[in-house]
Amino acid sequence: MPGLAQTLFITASGAGMNLRPHHFILWALFIAGMLLMPELVGRGTLRTMVFACYLAIFAISWDILSGRTGYISFGHPFLVGIGAYTTAILTRRYGFPVEASIPIAVLVTMFGGLIVLLPALRIKGSYFALVTLAVMELMYQLVPVVRPDLTGGTRGISRLPALTRGAENGYYLAVCLMLAVALFAWLLMRTRLGTALWAIGQNEESVRGSGLSTTRLKSFAFLVSAAIAGLGGAFYAHYLGTITPRAFFDINVLFQIIVAVLIGGAGTILGPIIGAFFMVFLLEWLRPFLPGQERFFVYGAIALLIYMYQPKGIMAIIESGITRLRGART
Amino acid sequence: MLQIIIQGLLLSGLYALIAMGFMLIFSIGRTLNLAYGAYIMVGGYIYFWLSQQLGLPKLIGFAGAVAVGAIMGLLKHRLIVKPLKGDPVAVEISTLILAVIMQSAVVLVFGDASKILLPIIPGVVTISGAQVTYNIVAATLMSWVIILALYAFIRGTHTGRAMQAVSMDQKGAAISGVDPDRINMITWAISGGLGAAGGVFFASYTQLSPGMWVAPVIISVAIVIVGGIGSIIGTLIVAHIIGFLEIIVVAVWAPELRGVFTMLLIIGVLIMRPQGLFGREEH
Amino acid sequence: MTLKYGIAASVAATLLATTAIADIKVGFIGSLSSDTGLSTLRGAEMAIEELNAAGGVMGEQITLVTADTGEDVTEGVKAYEYLAETEEVDFVISGSIDDVSLGWLPRMQEFQIPTLDTWTSYIGIIDQVIEEPDLMAPYFMNIASDEALATLYINFGADVLKAKMGWESVVILAEDTAFGEAITGLVTEALGPVAGIETKEIITYDIGTVDFAPLFSKAQASGADFIYQVSSVNSQVISSQYVKLQVPMAMTGVNVSALGMEYWEDTGGAGGGISTLSPIPSVGFELDPVSAKFVADYQAKYTSRPVMPHFNGFNAYHGLKQAMAAAEEAGGFGDVKAWNAAMLKQDLKLEKDGKLWLRYGFWQHGEVEEVTGRTYPQNARFDLTAPYDDAQPSMVVIQWKEDGTVGVVYPFEYANTEFEVPSWVK
Repeated sequence: MPGLAQTLFITASGAGMNLRPHHFILWALFIAGMLLMPELVGRGTLRTMVFACYLAIFAISWDILSGRTGYISFGHPFLVGIGAYTTAILTRRYGFPVEASIPIAVLVTMFGGLIVLLPALRIKGSYFALVTLAVMELMYQLVPVVRPDLTGGTRGISRLPALTRGAENGYYLAVCLMLAVALFAWLLMRTRLGTALWAIGQNEESVRGSGLSTTRLKSFAFLVSAAIAGLGGAFYAHYLGTITPRAFFDINVLFQIIVAVLIGGAGTILGPIIGAFFMVFLLEWLRPFLPGQERFFVYGAIALLIYMYQPKGIMAIIESGITRLRGART
Repeated sequence: MLQIIIQGLLLSGLYALIAMGFMLIFSIGRTLNLAYGAYIMVGGYIYFWLSQQLGLPKLIGFAGAVAVGAIMGLLKHRLIVKPLKGDPVAVEISTLILAVIMQSAVVLVFGDASKILLPIIPGVVTISGAQVTYNIVAATLMSWVIILALYAFIRGTHTGRAMQAVSMDQKGAAISGVDPDRINMITWAISGGLGAAGGVFFASYTQLSPGMWVAPVIISVAIVIVGGIGSIIGTLIVAHIIGFLEIIVVAVWAPELRGVFTMLLIIGVLIMRPQGLFGREEH
Repeated sequence: MTLKYGIAASVAATLLATTAIADIKVGFIGSLSSDTGLSTLRGAEMAIEELNAAGGVMGEQITLVTADTGEDVTEGVKAYEYLAETEEVDFVISGSIDDVSLGWLPRMQEFQIPTLDTWTSYIGIIDQVIEEPDLMAPYFMNIASDEALATLYINFGADVLKAKMGWESVVILAEDTAFGEAITGLVTEALGPVAGIETKEIITYDIGTVDFAPLFSKAQASGADFIYQVSSVNSQVISSQYVKLQVPMAMTGVNVSALGMEYWEDTGGAGGGISTLSPIPSVGFELDPVSAKFVADYQAKYTSRPVMPHFNGFNAYHGLKQAMAAAEEAGGFGDVKAWNAAMLKQDLKLEKDGKLWLRYGFWQHGEVEEVTGRTYPQNARFDLTAPYDDAQPSMVVIQWKEDGTVGVVYPFEYANTEFEVPSWVK
């Protein structure tokens, strides 16, 4: 199988670990732009951006697991929910400080990631998607039943300690978290490991054939993805202040995460971010024009049209636009 | 005991009917059609609109629902599956988006409030302490008729055999002169019609509501996972396993854990036998 | 890319912000496509229309903006933020359901915008008012909380189910939700000692249950005299299956779907015989002249469903006027403490035939309700003992008859029909 060696070689040499100056400049511009946002936009918009940032974090997490390795997870809200519920239960029921509860939440979510990993060791493709959907559904059914004194049942847990107050602070926290996660994911994907994960998505057999342990690689991807989901979920829970099962273990949440990645562009770092901001702002901008249910209808329809037009997402649309512009100039 | 058997048979018949259309698409394209729940929902609502709001005969309502379901299946194949060239992941995601759009559409047209379908056949009989409505008996009988007809169609007709061939090996079928595109189209239409028919019965059991599409998808998912990509008979058997499991859990154990056991069964089967109880080994 | 969006959004936000400056801005939060949400919205619209026609409040006209939640928790948080930060409303009126209200509550605490909840009856929110009165100063709930609802139901058990029907034992069929658990707990604790009705068995069911036949079989096998159902989610499924299956056992309890006039149409008539407790003013509830005029005006103005406002429509109509009156007294909504004090003093007594019929007032801080022995600060005032001369009861029991009519069966002071078992129950 020359395929794998070739891909490894191409990705490694083409864009691989050799970080170039323009990468740093682009990242610096991006980070500076995001941090300047409170000077440019109103508080209402900042609030919307906070949601976009958290959705972007979940999207990046999903992309590491599914966008790269090709194991489509329909159970991602399960991981986000574990992170949120762990920190909520620890702080509200056992009086843990958030400094302790959030790291524990991340660890617990990583353990949750292993649960999702188990079926992935034996099955793939649509079957894997089905099982993860079942896991999420199981969680939704179990949360109200098992220890409602801890989980608060269907009414969830209220009055979580807030990390910050106000739109600006909430935004800075969310955007810093998102930028850190994005930068981490970007660096990770530049390593050989990232390339190998991507290769699994292309052809798992050939990766195995080339002597790499796919089990170990997959475990790694699942753990990283779960850690990010747990981290995002925990901070998100404290931002919301109240968590209920319907806000996490729900097919709508799944819809938003997956669509954010795919509308933006799977297998990239910027794609999930663009997708998350696009989807969150689209819904918010439609509000003054379509106050009722029409808003969700149009929102879904636009998502479907973009996806049908370019399944590789907005990133690919932009890229082809740039190529066309360049082509026009020369 | 007799009570459990009766109730189990009735519920399982319904589940088999619901899962059949989902299984067809899954076995032919290895595609999870998450918008399958939308056929069920739309079927139920169309029946409600025709027979309960416009007051047309029930048979016309039922035929209308099946026709709309089949057209939806056809349109989905034309407008989504074909342009995406059958890429399973892309089709899965687009059907998920479509399902959410359909949910909004139903809210816009019929409103948010749940609605109850009148019994298709009114009346009730008590058998060994259990009430059984004629409606549910009719639903179960109908689902058996539909399943047997489908079985006969797939086994007995040229198109049906071609569907089977495509489900086993798309390229091989093409070589032997079957047009996979045409077969796919037919399968999507049948699946849509079956979903809508199942929807009428499912809604007459439960209710019509904009969120009702999720539950049948989960049931279908459970049946397909446990059964594996297999025959109609396999789906039928697994529908009974799941239906009876549910009735037994509710009747003799803990009703609040109704769904939990189904999910545990799924996960258990997958760990023991990833290809499902009746599935073919996939390579 | 994001930068461009951001700038465009800020331009849009500035444009929006400059359009309305002098007016008093009211924000509605709730679903724009449910009967529940629309009841609150329309109640608020009508109150605003009347106030504006009479010259507005503090010389200013009132404007209304809406924020749809779609009954989604996260959308609810976004909707509240939108009202607070983009629209910068002075006052929020809410027709949210339980978990949606709980979702935006931390935002209300942060923004400190006076807010009136008209549908949610969750006692946990009132507990928060008790524990953190400063943080919860902007919050008022003008529907009796669920504990009070359940408590009056026990009297119904004693006065009607035991005394009139002669039933001595019950099997409880409750959904597996926090609401179901709370109501079940209260009912089982009190039914025995207060009403003398023995609880034979408690059956908890999953809200996604497709087929209720085995549950009804189980209930019948318990040997109890009647079923007490507690259902707030997918309630129509259990009630319609009860009717379709003609379960030969009486059933009463809480069934949230039966609270609106559309119940009969939505169930296609498969809902006769169902009885449920209902917040006031319920369907089938006789109205005092003021509320009757509200309904007449409502029906002249709106032709789509809900054809008759649900209880929260009345709460929104009267409650919004009270909030504005409080603002007038407190010099606006800006000083939350002053507004809170003025709002607590609001007291609207509506009479019918010379008897106190409805009272829109609030429990004060530290004021103990005698039957339940606890306080309900900033919660709608109710009365748990006959003859209900302090306020209206916390709820009434209504019953849908098999001919599609509906009426109040308890308390007797408010009753206009008698409780009866469905025709198929011997």
